[in-house]
Amino acid sequence: MTSASDTPIIQTFGLGKRYRKTTAVDGISFQVEAGQVFGFLGPNGAGKTTTIGLLLGIITPTAGRFELFGGATAAELHAARQRIGATLETPNFYPYLSGRDNLRIVANVKGRDGAEIDRVLDLVGLRRRARQKFKAYSLGMKQRLALAATMLGDPELIILDEPANGLDPEGMREIREIIRDLGERGKTIFLSSHLLSEVERTCTHVAIIQNGRIVRQDSVADVTSHGVAGLRAADLEGLAAAVREYPAARWASRRGDRLVVELTDGDLSGLNAWLAGRGIHLSHLALEARSLEDVFMEATGATPANRPADPGTQPGRSAPGDHRMGEVP
Amino acid sequence: MIAAAFRGEMRKLWKRPATWVTLGLFGLITLTDLVGPYRDARKNPDAPFLLPDAWSQILGEEITVGFIFSSVLVILLVAAEFSWRTARQNVIDGLSKTQWYSAKLLLLPFLTALFLALRVVVGGLLALAGTDLSAGATLFGTVQLSALGGMFLTGLGYCSLALFAALAIRSSGPAMALWFAWFAFGERLVVGGVGKVFEGLRPVLRWAPVMTFDRLRDYIQYDPEALRKVAEWAVENEQPVPELEALGPAIAGSIGWIAGLTLLGWLWYRRRNL
Repeated sequence: MTSASDTPIIQTFGLGKRYRKTTAVDGISFQVEAGQVFGFLGPNGAGKTTTIGLLLGIITPTAGRFELFGGATAAELHAARQRIGATLETPNFYPYLSGRDNLRIVANVKGRDGAEIDRVLDLVGLRRRARQKFKAYSLGMKQRLALAATMLGDPELIILDEPANGLDPEGMREIREIIRDLGERGKTIFLSSHLLSEVERTCTHVAIIQNGRIVRQDSVADVTSHGVAGLRAADLEGLAAAVREYPAARWASRRGDRLVVELTDGDLSGLNAWLAGRGIHLSHLALEARSLEDVFMEATGATPANRPADPGTQPGRSAPGDHRMGEVP
Repeated sequence: MIAAAFRGEMRKLWKRPATWVTLGLFGLITLTDLVGPYRDARKNPDAPFLLPDAWSQILGEEITVGFIFSSVLVILLVAAEFSWRTARQNVIDGLSKTQWYSAKLLLLPFLTALFLALRVVVGGLLALAGTDLSAGATLFGTVQLSALGGMFLTGLGYCSLALFAALAIRSSGPAMALWFAWFAFGERLVVGGVGKVFEGLRPVLRWAPVMTFDRLRDYIQYDPEALRKVAEWAVENEQPVPELEALGPAIAGSIGWIAGLTLLGWLWYRRRNL
């Protein structure tokens, strides 16, 4: 096993998992580099948790292979997992033990002492409640304890599966700050979530998974920097119909009184001239910031009914009254 | 790493209310069972409750209750790990499946010994209270050691059956129901049913797991003197003389079942996703 800084921390090669008639993960390939905060985004049931389970060795793959810290053999993977702190789905602890006792169990396995327990309890702000039984914790406290457990042993890679699940906005903010702080300290973080704004605010890189397949993978900056134009005209329906025929338009979505269009060439003047040639005169034309939600909807074809939940608000984000018009050829 | 995992098991055991409830109950059952002979001995010198003879009562059939409790604890400690998903988290935290399973395996002899020790200590102290230590009699000899060894195997057998049930079912309630049903009547039903259909199999069926473990439970088979007295009494009272089988095959059979059940449990656990 190598530990050179240019070795990807996680690398998968056509990794797959099939359960009888269901394919949970369908030959995915991606890589996570050292220092990245990598968002693994997808709707519920897309295969996020199964992928993490495969990486953590609790699910056996039926196709492909993967490397952790450059190691691929069983022994290397077991050794690599000593460098990982991870939590899968809900926080998994012994309900009759206190928060501190639960961390003692984890610290015992990781060969860490009581001082380290105090350190991580301080990090997540649970030290004063550490003697309380886990079953008496609120969901936010349980999530924070899970985060504390992952940080025990100062792991190089932290894998978090839906860490903000069920949290109120304040709890989400706290978790986001902890993750951001870890990222700033150079930790590599693999964060699975279906909360688009959380990933957008927290991550440097993102992969979108749907039906077990990676449908988009890039840095967050790259996926959100493609040209998206906001258009307004007196006849919005006529505008939408015309835009559908514009060759450089990838998709269009109605947002309130305007139409949002992704342009493959980013050329606004070209679009304006093309529309003017069809007798459509715009009252508004401007480049708009593209949210991760736009990227997600484009990549997955999600509709308001099946798109991931997102309680946050962002510039350029769909509002409740928005209407998606579908992809434009 | 296995030692660290076992330390974790001890912490869980210590903090689990069920541990203290079962130990307390068994202690109470032992006390109520042995306080009678202890009181009788005080009132009637012809019915002494003294060491070493009192071991036949202390290590009587009631020890089975302790083994039932230890098996219940095994199921609670193992099956709950799957409902709470801590079995999965333990592996994520760095334990290998082998280390996780080894720590659980170590629980079996520990719990068996714990309940056996409780009975021995409580009963032993009661009997010791009336024993004349200056007489110089051997209070605990090879007979008692052999009996404890045999009974330990019985308890270990019950616990290995419980471990298998916990790993196969992965849920405390149903696993406990299955284990208890097999222990209380299931095995006899199956053996009886199969024995009726295939008569030639009857000698083999007598070696079903619980029947095999129970062959080592009777104190009298370890104490030739007590066995001689019982035989004399039986002849005098025209009762059937107890026939005891050789211990060797029963020990080998029990060890075989314990090894088989724990191996099967391991294969089952390793094969399934966590």
